[in-house]
Amino acid sequence: MSETTAERAGIPATSDELARLDYFEDLRDRYLSLDGLDAKWHSFERENSYPSFETCMRLHYFMSHTRAVEETLDSAFRSGHIPGTAYFARGNEAASVGSASCLRDEEWLVPMHRNCGAHLVKGHPARSIMAHFFGRMDGPSRGRDGNFHIGYRPKKITQLISHIGSMIPVAAGIAWAEKARGTGRATLTYIGDGGTSTGDFHEGVNFAAVHKLPVVFIIDNNQYAYKTLLKEQYACKSLILKAPGYGIPGFLIDGTDILLVRKICSEAIDRARAGEGPTLIESVTMRLAGHSVYDKYSDYVDLENLRRWTNERDPLERYDTFLEESGMATIEEISASHARARADAETARDEALKSPFPDPATLNDDVYAP
Amino acid sequence: MGQITYRQAISEALWEEMERDKEVFLYGEDIGLGGGAFYITKGFQEHFGRDRVVDVPLSEAGWTGAAIGAALTGMRPVIEFQFADFVTESFKMIVDLAAGNHFRQMGPVPLVIRLPGAALVSAGPFHSQNPEPWFFGTPGLKIIAPTTAYDAKGMLKTAIRDNNPVIYLEYKKLYNYPVNELPDILRPDIPSDDYTVPFGEARTLREGEDVSLVTFGTTVLQALEAADILEEEGVSTEVIDMRSILPYDKEAILRTVEKTGKLLILHEARKHGGISGEFAAVVAEEAFEHLDAPIQRVGATNTPIPLSPPLENAYLPSTQKVVDALRELAAY
Ligand SMILES: Cc1ncc(C[n+]2csc(CCOP(=O)(O)OP(=O)(O)O)c2C)c(N)n1
Ligand SMILES: [Mg+2]
Repeated sequence: MSETTAERAGIPATSDELARLDYFEDLRDRYLSLDGLDAKWHSFERENSYPSFETCMRLHYFMSHTRAVEETLDSAFRSGHIPGTAYFARGNEAASVGSASCLRDEEWLVPMHRNCGAHLVKGHPARSIMAHFFGRMDGPSRGRDGNFHIGYRPKKITQLISHIGSMIPVAAGIAWAEKARGTGRATLTYIGDGGTSTGDFHEGVNFAAVHKLPVVFIIDNNQYAYKTLLKEQYACKSLILKAPGYGIPGFLIDGTDILLVRKICSEAIDRARAGEGPTLIESVTMRLAGHSVYDKYSDYVDLENLRRWTNERDPLERYDTFLEESGMATIEEISASHARARADAETARDEALKSPFPDPATLNDDVYAP
Repeated sequence: MGQITYRQAISEALWEEMERDKEVFLYGEDIGLGGGAFYITKGFQEHFGRDRVVDVPLSEAGWTGAAIGAALTGMRPVIEFQFADFVTESFKMIVDLAAGNHFRQMGPVPLVIRLPGAALVSAGPFHSQNPEPWFFGTPGLKIIAPTTAYDAKGMLKTAIRDNNPVIYLEYKKLYNYPVNELPDILRPDIPSDDYTVPFGEARTLREGEDVSLVTFGTTVLQALEAADILEEEGVSTEVIDMRSILPYDKEAILRTVEKTGKLLILHEARKHGGISGEFAAVVAEEAFEHLDAPIQRVGATNTPIPLSPPLENAYLPSTQKVVDALRELAAY
C-alpha cells in the first residue's frame, strides 16, 4: 500500500496523541476523524480537491468581500453610523464561506454572530446587512434589530437571538421538517466554543442524532468566548470528542484552510442529504480581533498566540498564497478579485446609508402576524 | 464618607462582603480574568482567588443550578448574568427551584442574582430588557432596584445577608454615570463604615403637594427632571423612589396619594403587564376615596424593544412623556 493511500484511509490516532492535542501544531495539512471511538488522522491531499477555476475565484471573492464588508462596517462604527454595538469575525472567513458555499439555494442556513461570510456567499446582499447595522428601513428587520442578529428570508437564512445555543435546536427542527417532507435537503448551522457549553447545544444535537436528521453542526472554535479561555470552557482536549457521545461522526479541522473546510463540509452535507444523519465538525480558527467593537482585546489575549495565528493562519493570506503557488490564479487575477470585493463593500455602504430610518409611527406594526 | 459611582458601589459591596464572610463567592461569565463585561469585579480574582471568583462556562442554567446547590449547604453565592436578558436561560432554576424551596420546607436559598438590565442606547431586543415583570408574580423571590450608589451598596449587602433568593437589578446606564452630573438627591455620601439599606422602604426624593410620581430604576432621573419643569409651571410634584419592588412599600404609595390625591406611576418596563399595574390596583383597592383624578401610568409601549434610535425613542418613556402626563394630571 502506498503511503498516500494509507493516509487517505487514515492513520489511527492514539489516545496519547489526543491527550496532547495542540490546535496550532497538530492540524498542519491534516485533520482528524472520529467514528465512534475510532479516531484517525488523515492527510489533506489538496491536489485531489482542487475545485474549478471559477469556484476557486468565487470562494476568493467571498472571503475577501467578507473581510471588506466587516472592515467597512468597523470604520462606519467609528464614524458613528452604527447604533449599539457590532461583532466581527476576522479569522473566520474561510470557515464561513467554505461551509455555506456547499449549500444549495433551497437549503436553510442557520448562522451565528460570526458568520458574515456565510450570509454573503448564501446570497444575502452586503447592502442589506449594512442597512441592518445602520438601523435603517432597508435592513431585513426594518430597524427593529441590529448587529449580527440578522436573518434574510429570501435566501433561507434564519435570524438568531442573542442567547447563545438557542439556534441549535431550531436548526434541528428545520432539518426535521426537511426529513418529514422528504426533500433531501440539508441544513447547516454553527456554534461557538462557548456555545457548546449550553444546555441547548446538547439538547439540539442529541435530538438531531436520535432522529438522524439532515443537519451539519459546525463548531467555530476561535479559542475565546468573549474573555473566557478554552480551559475555563471545557475539560476535554477537543470538542470533537463530544461527537461519539451523541453517536454521530466528528471531524476536527483547520478552519483557516478554505479548501479543507469545503471538502469536509460538502461530504457532511452530502451524507445529510442522503439520509445518513448529522455530523459535528470542529473548525479551529482564532478570533483575530476583539469580541466586539468595544472590547479591549489586549487586556487579556495571549499576544504570542495571536501573533502566530495572524502571521501563519490568516485564512485570506493563506488562500492568496495557495492560489498563486498552485498556479490556479495569477497575482493580477487575485488583486482584481480583492479590488472588486472591496469596491462592492463600499458601494453597499453608500447605498445602505441612503436608506431611511424607520418612522416612529410604525413602532406598533407587526407585533402579530396577520 | 465620599462619593463614588454606581459601579464602584456595587464593586465595594461585593468586595466588603467577601472580606467579611468566607461563604460568599461569585459565579459569572468573564468575571475573573476579564473583570466582567462591565468591570464590576476587576481585580477580584487576584485577591480572592479562582475558587471564590469563578469564571464559568457559557451555561447559565447550569451554574444557576450549581449556585442553588451551594446555597442549600449554607454558602452565599452571588451570580452575575452578563446581561439581564440572559436570565431567561435560568428561569426554571430561579422560579421553580429557588423561589419555592423554603415554602416547601426544604430550607433557605441565600442566593443573589445580579442582573445588569434596562436600555442603553440602541442595545437592541436582547440587551435592553427589564426583567422584573417576569419575576414579580413569584412568591419567595425578592426584587431590588437601587438607583443611587448609596442604595446600590447598602442594598447589595442586605441582599447578600438575606436568606432568600434576591433578584438584584442593576442599571447599565448608571454604572459610570458621572457623580457630579447627578442631582444632589441622587448622590448621598457613602459612609466609610459598614452599612446596609433595608428592603421594602421607599425613599421620598422630593416633597410635593399637587401630584405624586412613584417610580423606580433609571426613570428616577426623568421623574426628577420632569418635576423641575412642572415646578416652574407652578405644579408641585412629590417624587418617590420605590427602591425595592418585592417587597414594596405599600404604605409609602398610600401616604402620598392621601396627600396629593393624584398619582402617576412611571417605569421603563412596558406599561402592559408592568409593576405599575399592581401599584395602581392597590391604590384603587385601599385609597380610592383619596383620589381626585384617574391614576396615570407611563411606561414603554407594548412591543418588543426595537434597536433603531427613532423606534427606541418612541418605545421608551422620556422626560417629555412624563411632563405631558404630569401636566394632564395637574389640570384634571
Ligand atoms: C446565553 C448567553 N449568555 C451570554 C451571552 C453573552 N455573550 C455574547 S457572545 C459571548 C461569547 C460567545 O462565545 P462563543 O460561543 O465561543 O462564540 P464567539 O463569540 O467566540 O464566536 C457571550 C458570553 C449570550 N449572548 N448568550
Ligand atoms: Mg468562541
